[in-house]
Amino acid sequence: MVPRSVVALIAILLLASSVSDAQTPKRGGVLRIGNLGEPPSLDPHWGTQTITEVLANHVFEGLYALDEGYRPIPMLADGMPTVSKDGLTYGIKLRKGVKFHNGKEVTSDDVVASLLRWGKRSVYGKSLFAQVADFKATDTYAVEFKLKEKSAIVVISLAVPNNMGAIYPKEIAEKFPPDQRITEWVGTGPFKIAEWKPDQYIRMVRFEDYTRLPGKQSGYGGAKIAYVDELRWIPVPEAASRAAQLESGDLDVADDLVADGYDRLKANANVQPVIVKPYYWLVAVFNKKEGLMTNAKLRQAWQAALDVEPIMKTVAGGKPEFYRMDSSLAFQELPTWHTKIAGLPWNERNRDKARRLLKEAGYTGQPVRFMTTQEYKWMYDFALVSKQQLEEVGFKVDLQVMDWSTLGQRRVQPKEYDVFTTGMGNFFDPTHHIYLTPTWPGWTEDEQIATLMAQLARETELKKRQELWAQMTKLFYEKVPVARYGDLFGLRALRTTVKGFNDKTERPRFWGVWLDR
Amino acid sequence: MTAYLVRRVLAVIPVMLVVVTVVFLLIHLIPGDPVAVILGPDATPSQIEATRAQLGLDRPLYEQLGAFYVRVLRGDLGRSYFLNRPVTQALWERAEPTSLLTLSALLVAIAIGVPSGLIAGAFPGSAWDRVLMLAALFGVCIPGFWLSLNFIYFFAVRLGWLPAGGYASVFVDPGAALRYMVLPAVSLGFNQSALIARIARSCMLEVLQQDYIRTARAKGLSQGVVIVGHAFRNAMVPVVTVIGITTAVLIGGAVVTEIVFNIPGLGRLIISAILRRDYPVVQGVVLVTAAAYVLVNLVVDVLYVLIDPRIRYD
Repeated sequence: MVPRSVVALIAILLLASSVSDAQTPKRGGVLRIGNLGEPPSLDPHWGTQTITEVLANHVFEGLYALDEGYRPIPMLADGMPTVSKDGLTYGIKLRKGVKFHNGKEVTSDDVVASLLRWGKRSVYGKSLFAQVADFKATDTYAVEFKLKEKSAIVVISLAVPNNMGAIYPKEIAEKFPPDQRITEWVGTGPFKIAEWKPDQYIRMVRFEDYTRLPGKQSGYGGAKIAYVDELRWIPVPEAASRAAQLESGDLDVADDLVADGYDRLKANANVQPVIVKPYYWLVAVFNKKEGLMTNAKLRQAWQAALDVEPIMKTVAGGKPEFYRMDSSLAFQELPTWHTKIAGLPWNERNRDKARRLLKEAGYTGQPVRFMTTQEYKWMYDFALVSKQQLEEVGFKVDLQVMDWSTLGQRRVQPKEYDVFTTGMGNFFDPTHHIYLTPTWPGWTEDEQIATLMAQLARETELKKRQELWAQMTKLFYEKVPVARYGDLFGLRALRTTVKGFNDKTERPRFWGVWLDR
Repeated sequence: MTAYLVRRVLAVIPVMLVVVTVVFLLIHLIPGDPVAVILGPDATPSQIEATRAQLGLDRPLYEQLGAFYVRVLRGDLGRSYFLNRPVTQALWERAEPTSLLTLSALLVAIAIGVPSGLIAGAFPGSAWDRVLMLAALFGVCIPGFWLSLNFIYFFAVRLGWLPAGGYASVFVDPGAALRYMVLPAVSLGFNQSALIARIARSCMLEVLQQDYIRTARAKGLSQGVVIVGHAFRNAMVPVVTVIGITTAVLIGGAVVTEIVFNIPGLGRLIISAILRRDYPVVQGVVLVTAAAYVLVNLVVDVLYVLIDPRIRYD
């Protein structure tokens, strides 16, 4: 007769070993990811689409990446740059022995050719290269930026994952002019493109010669280990179908799901839902070039009238897990730039103030043309509840619902609208907040805002930049270039067999992920 | 017959010309800019202008239409703005899933619709008639997407018998292709079978009241021989017309099924092309669909002759 204590010990050991098995990364398998569509390109220099960013970041790398706090850390660069005393020269060394997918070693010639192309095409590249007097290779493994003036955006521009400064082999970077999409996807990332079958799948396979950084994975950077043999990105445009395919086991990961499906996914023992933070803060963008909303008092009245919580509740399908009330222009997940300023005129719910401002603005009930779309349901929902709240204080809102493509076309034409809906994602630097610039739709041409933006672009000391950013936040609520609502969160979900997924990043990354099945 | 066929084929040319012109004008007249979609919200005005020039969208509309006619005559449907590949290639890649879905749904529709209609028509007022026609009524009334989502929920999510969506090529893995095609084909085919059943029933009823049927019965022929040997073939002529219409509807109308079941076919292609304002792709899909309609009608006309030799076209 075996004593009970021995049996219990064996059971505990068996359980412990099975738990530890589940925690030990395994190599192999195909990870099937359902996403909402087809990327227009896999060339990260070329476009700003989220889907291009997500896919391309598995294939390409830049000199820097962002860590878990969205701060720049070295990727292909060997350490942070050395900066001259006058702040005008940035020297960047490259890691040696890093290989492209075609087997060639990365050298400074590749970096120069790639970043020159990026500087002509990318939103971030163009703003950086506007400050660059000269950019050249100083030896095989080093490059140098010479600036026209002091700049705070050199490293962050090279680290942003969207429209990123991906490094291609020189021959490819030079073969495709900036206005042409690159179709030879040779990068240095942990996965390489194996096949692209439009509307069916994009297959990425593990790059066996990947030269990874030591240490741990951190945010979008650090050590990237490809455990799965293959990433298979499957476009599933319908969110309900993506969720169903995940539940049935036809997909391992489903991205961009709708909050309505959260409870059902949560109840499924084979599925782990992930609430995506940050996602977007909702925003009504005012046309400040032409029409009614050029009047600042009307914009202030709009801001004063809003009761943000019921709006966010509606948009989030009544689920408090999917929204957050916050007045900061940067998300809480970006601690460097998140602000906590008391007394800002956000979520005032002050109808009397709104009515007074309408009177002072001389508003006599002219219809405010408010453009929105049902393609992004959350945009339509928040526009609809806003309309109701605004009409209660005396606004007359002409809600114009159109498809996203039409809205995209109209919002660049000042004669076409007064306000439009959109969402603001994660901006990694104050200078990236596009709605504060004179070129982005809505056209913020305010002199004080422009002066502060210029100071933020030049000032390199973090503390001073943070002070300037706090000033900008106060100025934002005074000038109201756009009306800020609350933070909306997204939803993605994984099968429980998917292990090692980093659920702390805004956009998904699948290095470090393995399959336990 | 041959002269008739030649005339019908020649008549296709003006039909296609009108279709192409109307679609070209409609898609260009609705607001929306493909460049805005391709370049994303952060594009600068200079980037937008450069891309418009690159795609030829800065040229007057009549010039774009003229260039399109010339290209179509050469068999070139242009290049997709968004997919960055020739339209003909994009169409070819998606032709297989749509053809397979159309054929399988049609088979399901015929397999359910024709026997149900004939049985109901042969035994009017019976319990069979009432049950089958109630099912047909449901089939006509139930929205396709609702039925599809319920099929997915029960057969894929709850029971795990079949995949919830996706596609495998019949030339690569026929077994997987069949598994992927069952749910979409049944949900699409069930909707269409309802119409076929109702038409088949009324045709059967009408034929069974004819004098020659009465004569057949008077001769002492059994009910089975009367229905199968005498009534069936004559009742089939209008049913073939409906099957022809159903085929055409399926070719152009499988959009919802393709989206819900994630089948990379022509229906999904045209929806995404419209949303992206990918003009060449929209024109290409409409052109192919219109050609398929014309072809199906022609086949139906030829089938009439085979079913009923009394029909003559010459």
